[in-house]
Amino acid sequence: MEEMLAVFIASTLRLAMPLMLAASGELVSERAGVLNLSLEGMMLTAAFFGALGSWASGNPYLGVACAILASVVVSAVQAWLSVNLRANQLVVGIGFNILALGATTLLYRIIFGGLSREEIPGLPKLAVKGLSDLPFAGTAFFQQSVIVYVGLALIVLIWAMLNHTSFGLAVRAVGDEPRSADKAGIPVAATRWKAVLITGFMAGFAGAFISIADIHTFTENMTNGAGYLALAAVIFGGWNVGRTIAACLLFGAATALQFQLPAMGIHVPTAFLLMLPYLLALLAVAGVVGRLEPPTSLTLPFQRGK
Amino acid sequence: MTSSAGSLLSLNNLGKRFGSLQALEGVSLDVRAGSVQCLLGENGAGKSTLCNLIFGVYEPSEGDMVFDGAAWAPESPAVALEKGIAMVHQHFSLVPRMTVVENLMLGQVRGVLKRHEFGARIRDIAENFGFTLDPDAVVGELSVGERQRAEIVKCLMRDPKLLVLDEPTAVLPPGEIGALLDICRRVADSGRAVILVTHKLAEIAKVADRVAVLRTGRLVADESMAEADMGALVHAMVGRELRPLDVALAETDEDVEASEAPKGFALVCDGLTVHDRHGAVRLDNFTLEIRPGEIVGLAGVEGNGQSELGMVLAGLLRPTEGHFYIAGNDLTHAGAAAVTAAGGGIVPEDRHAVACVTAMSVAENMFLNKLDRFTRFGLLQRGALNAAAQKQMQEFDVRAAGPEVAFSGLSGGNQQKAVLARELTLDPLVALVAAQPTRGLDVSAVEAVYRQIRAAARRGVGVLLISSELDELLAVADRVAVLYRGRLVGERPAEMNERGAIGALMSGQVA
Repeated sequence: MEEMLAVFIASTLRLAMPLMLAASGELVSERAGVLNLSLEGMMLTAAFFGALGSWASGNPYLGVACAILASVVVSAVQAWLSVNLRANQLVVGIGFNILALGATTLLYRIIFGGLSREEIPGLPKLAVKGLSDLPFAGTAFFQQSVIVYVGLALIVLIWAMLNHTSFGLAVRAVGDEPRSADKAGIPVAATRWKAVLITGFMAGFAGAFISIADIHTFTENMTNGAGYLALAAVIFGGWNVGRTIAACLLFGAATALQFQLPAMGIHVPTAFLLMLPYLLALLAVAGVVGRLEPPTSLTLPFQRGK
Repeated sequence: MTSSAGSLLSLNNLGKRFGSLQALEGVSLDVRAGSVQCLLGENGAGKSTLCNLIFGVYEPSEGDMVFDGAAWAPESPAVALEKGIAMVHQHFSLVPRMTVVENLMLGQVRGVLKRHEFGARIRDIAENFGFTLDPDAVVGELSVGERQRAEIVKCLMRDPKLLVLDEPTAVLPPGEIGALLDICRRVADSGRAVILVTHKLAEIAKVADRVAVLRTGRLVADESMAEADMGALVHAMVGRELRPLDVALAETDEDVEASEAPKGFALVCDGLTVHDRHGAVRLDNFTLEIRPGEIVGLAGVEGNGQSELGMVLAGLLRPTEGHFYIAGNDLTHAGAAAVTAAGGGIVPEDRHAVACVTAMSVAENMFLNKLDRFTRFGLLQRGALNAAAQKQMQEFDVRAAGPEVAFSGLSGGNQQKAVLARELTLDPLVALVAAQPTRGLDVSAVEAVYRQIRAAARRGVGVLLISSELDELLAVADRVAVLYRGRLVGERPAEMNERGAIGALMSGQVA
């Protein structure tokens, strides 16, 4: 039983990881007032280019770099459209997602052929010396892919940045009252740009995690809504880092149950379990569980003197 | 350039033109260090323009300034701040969801935030000037007075030599005004100069050392508060000049007498009270009765409850207490559609956001409340609509290329005439509430608007005319009621020789 719980925790953490990475990045951008519905597209693009980079070079770390680069490029276009051109962020985001799905599918078929399941060089699991052999925690926490540890460190960094640095203060100010921030001498557009690029960086990491660290291949639409779940987690988490991470873990646990329950001999229809994380997300977003206020200027473009 | 001994800021023959409008002309004033200088004037007298010149928002068209012994021509507010002039604006610039200390650190610090250290500085400064301020409080949860104190500390952190406060009492409940004035006194006593801009003389009197009065862009009084005579100051502030409007309106003055009062009231406000979401009283036990055919002017400096009253009577805001009736029907909680149906014509204060849909055509806007008349089998009969609009545009002199052009393409005057046409053609029309109907209009449009309003009154409509333009009210209304701090503080016949008395009521002096 204890062993099972340890495995459950480990798989929860593994399944929640891409959500946590993407959601914490998206959180920064939303606190600055820019909604990236394109998060799903960024992750899918990253997953594809990560896989491609890793497969072509044989080096998974180069793959991760490719994933991040691809995602940051997408986020730069998003930032340009949302901040400079003041385009409707919802429409831009949906457009990006459809484009990313089409483009990655097409490129995948051209490069790898129709039904290839080509294995790509993945990242090693890092057994933390001395800790991985611990009876319970070892299995649960310390036999994960390298990217998990790096990712967790990045999330802590984001939390510290938002709450304890002048840049974080500027991000929150431009997301709530860009006019006041402008008066206080904060460059609104530049701050929002940086925030969106941070989202791109983290979404790149998340995409790389899925294709390179976790599954070791690319399949069509392999993010399969993870980006949307991450967006839901940000809302569920009330735009607060700690609560958002907790929401991601909850969604991860719901997904992990799909594998865990049958192993424990409990029979629940698979379809229900597949649905569970999305159902939870829906309840969360509908505000059934303590709704919190979004940043005041979320999705609202800023123009001085208007 | 000259600078009198002991003065921190000298204005020499300062003037500012915006296009053809002379907003300020020939203003010379000395502000001394260690003193509170009060700057008095009605809306549009040029007070804000003067502050903006001092603070570097605008460049003067004529004249020059001397600050702290050197020529003063700041190219931006940032430069003004750096060189020792800070300004508390009427609209606060704090982020409500951040704490006081976070707001004050914004743009001032780099790298890792040291909340404790900065918070201690905030406490110190507040204590120095005799008040307390919790640096860790979330701004959105503070009272208006506390927010204002946070703004003042934000200014004082820059250690300015001159502190300008633009209408600081306008937003405050009466209880907090005393505390603000104490702070001003202490700031002046610390060797700085304070400029207090206001149109409410009575409140400021006890703290000011000197008082200057602006009227239509000119300085009409500049004296020591100790020697000043309140009555003379009020007279200087509201003292009137003949404007073309009065002549035009005087011509039709006779006709108004013709209407006589049938039984019953067109509009009755009974104890209307509005609290805003912070719990502050915006409208306080407002009671007024308007007979058919009567035009009642509601005077008052803006922000004394007029907007709230307008919203309540339009059915857009539920009063906390009280009722209002149109032709005897209680419409307090009925909503906007019911007010229209009961014969309440509403010309809202905010022409762009409330009165019309600027992206729609002139015709659609003119018949917005009667579109069902032009609907057949659920489809809009555009031909009939445009023909009707064309006719009404002629009748009300709405000048546009045609009924189908976008409303946003019309001038302000024509937009207002179109809105008025829509409301005045309601059937039945019992009462008309017109809020600031001439704001931003030129003289000929003002005249047209009032001609229509008077014609409606002659037909037996009761009119409530809310305006901050006292001259217009005196010219058009039968009687003038005065709103101050949400309360009806007095009522006078609409006669020119009552102007001083009404002005005194508007500035908060008891009649």
